[in-house]
Amino acid sequence: MEEAVRTRGLVKRFGQQVAVAGVDLIVPKGSFAGLVGPNGAGKTTTLSMVTGLLRPDYGTIAIDGFDVWADPLNVKSRIGVLPEGLRLFERLSGRELLLYNGQLRGIPRAQVQQRAEELLRVMDLTEAQDKLVVDYSTGMRKKIGLAAALLHNPEVLFLDEPFEGVDPVSANTLVEVLQRYTGSGSTVIFSSHVMDLVERLCDWVSVMSRGFIVAQGPVAEVRQGRTLNEAFLDLVGARGHGDGEGLSWLGSR
Amino acid sequence: MTGTFVRLKLRLIAGSLRGDLVRQLGFGFSVFAAVVCALLGFLLFSLVSLTPDEMALRIGATVFTVAVLGWVVVPLLAFGLDETLDPSRLALFPLTTRQLALGMFAASATGAWPIASLVALFGALVGLSRGIGGVLLGLVAVPLVFALCLVASRLVTTALSGALRSRRGRDMLAVAVVFVVLLTQLPNLLVNRGLPSASMEMFTSAADTLRWTPPGLAAHAIADGGLAGLLDLLILAAVVVLLGWLWIIALRAALVRPDSSNQGGSVRRSRRKGLLPDGKLGAVIAKELKYARREPRGRVAWFTAVAVSGVMLFSFTGQGWGGFGLAIGPAMIAAIMIGVQSANTFGIDGRSLWMNAVAFGTDRDLRTDFAGRQLANFLISGPLLAVVATAGSVLAGNALWAVPATLLAWGMLGVAMGTGSLMSVLSPYTYPERMNAFSGAAPGQGGQAFVAGLGAMAGAGLLVLPVLIPTVFFAQWVSGIAVVYGAAMAWGGRRIASRIGFRRMPELLEAVSRPT
Repeated sequence: MEEAVRTRGLVKRFGQQVAVAGVDLIVPKGSFAGLVGPNGAGKTTTLSMVTGLLRPDYGTIAIDGFDVWADPLNVKSRIGVLPEGLRLFERLSGRELLLYNGQLRGIPRAQVQQRAEELLRVMDLTEAQDKLVVDYSTGMRKKIGLAAALLHNPEVLFLDEPFEGVDPVSANTLVEVLQRYTGSGSTVIFSSHVMDLVERLCDWVSVMSRGFIVAQGPVAEVRQGRTLNEAFLDLVGARGHGDGEGLSWLGSR
Repeated sequence: MTGTFVRLKLRLIAGSLRGDLVRQLGFGFSVFAAVVCALLGFLLFSLVSLTPDEMALRIGATVFTVAVLGWVVVPLLAFGLDETLDPSRLALFPLTTRQLALGMFAASATGAWPIASLVALFGALVGLSRGIGGVLLGLVAVPLVFALCLVASRLVTTALSGALRSRRGRDMLAVAVVFVVLLTQLPNLLVNRGLPSASMEMFTSAADTLRWTPPGLAAHAIADGGLAGLLDLLILAAVVVLLGWLWIIALRAALVRPDSSNQGGSVRRSRRKGLLPDGKLGAVIAKELKYARREPRGRVAWFTAVAVSGVMLFSFTGQGWGGFGLAIGPAMIAAIMIGVQSANTFGIDGRSLWMNAVAFGTDRDLRTDFAGRQLANFLISGPLLAVVATAGSVLAGNALWAVPATLLAWGMLGVAMGTGSLMSVLSPYTYPERMNAFSGAAPGQGGQAFVAGLGAMAGAGLLVLPVLIPTVFFAQWVSGIAVVYGAAMAWGGRRIASRIGFRRMPELLEAVSRPT
């Protein structure tokens, strides 16, 4: 099995709080991988470290065999990133954002223009291409962010919560583009809370809880006959706080 | 409830300092500066007691008025030094407007700088009073003036907060800032133009008018120390209450006003397509030029640069400068100011800087980024400085000086951009995501901003001397070397900065994308 992403003993501390406590993330090449876990499990921190945006305290990260921190040149040309929070260059129009990104990565202008036009059309953003990104809706921002991440045809794509706050139509577009992309042998890793979506899309899943990976493998293997949601709840050990003691005052009498 | 607000403010300050040494140092520096200002202000104000009674009253009235005006204007200029207490963040809590007003009043009195100004104002007790009555009244008058400062400041920022959040309001503010800058220079310009005796007369008549304003009444009360003084204080107290009441009304309105900042049209496609080179450098220049035009903070910076250049021209002529000094002075100051604006060059990118970070594979890429930013800056500031230098030369009576003056100013700009690039990676900080009346820099990063600005300016001021001194005192042809020198400094600055910056990229990202 060839690995697109492999981390060993990844640790990140923020002051007293341990966000990531020793993560060995494995993602095989060509897979559509989901990274799932409850809030605060360390998904975003892990993805930030893997994409070279946050310095890990300990551990190593390899993407296609290249070390992220020792060999950034080889890594950065191979990855596309859509981080959490969608902080884009707000004062550029969608089209300008793509052109800027492409040229910054050294793609000739004519080629960037052609790719940008196609991406804008597929993402259904042609009409809004000359509007400033600051005026885009959440769905539009996710789509233009994904377009920017795909522009240089990366081999591995990292998406942090790509479907959160996106309307069903835009989500469908995103899914179609991503499925076509992994169909050609490229790798997608995305984090999500939505188990149904992960179950439907992914062939590989890594489950995080409290800074550790608690399960990892092909989706069928992790599920073991249960739904992914049930498997997830069992794995993170977070069942049944909602109907037990406490909160007796809540609700109408 | 009021105590909760004070604790909230203290905790916000403490929280912003946690685990960040540079920021702690910056904060320490800021506190130190506040203490020095407090003591110095107190001392100077006390020394007023050495002047004749009439004069002491005039100075006192003027100082009090300036304090109040300062409290109103400075937060507006800095888009709110008091970053923590935006009423819209508190709107959903079940607080009465009175609780909110009292709490925010107490919170805005909390902090090093408010206390420093209070201490300095207490210097009036020594400086103005002429007896025990004056001291007793002063013990009431000074806190009243301080309250007036806070209430007036809060009233203005709150009343304008709605306008300052909309995009159109920000555009208006861009002009307003320039206007206020000009206004603060006005007395300076007038004094410079007139003779010393005439300006003394002007001060006397102005101060005699100020004596009847609310802060002037406070000064009079302390100087008087009798029944008339008591009456003064009653009027002052009434004014404070009135402003407070107006503030509460403004607050009530601000809490329910919707945010109207999101409507936008399309932008035109670039027409400079053929002019800029293809590739990374061209992309960065194009993006920077767009940001200078579209980003409100960029617009403010450039408006200010133009306005300050104009003011410099006037005040230099007014102060009786002539000869080569007048030709180069305004342009040099404009150049250093514009250069220092680049001392937090990644701040404008803020949270979107990651897009560059994931694209840059070597420090060479970052160097190209710096070069693009510097070139874009020069595309705007180069012509501007040439105009200022030419105007200065014409005013100085020798239009030919325009050539060495322009070259020297460009050299100065290059040096300042070099030190600015360096400070951008050494002391980066977050600009607030949306300018509004309440948030300035990210909470607690004011000291860092100060260090970046001062470092860039002091560095540039020192490094320019090797070409400035020969040009001024020996031969003007040295200015030709100054341009080359400036370009070399800019190059060196971005070379070192890109090496440091590339290695510190994650820390840089973190510093410019603090939550605001």
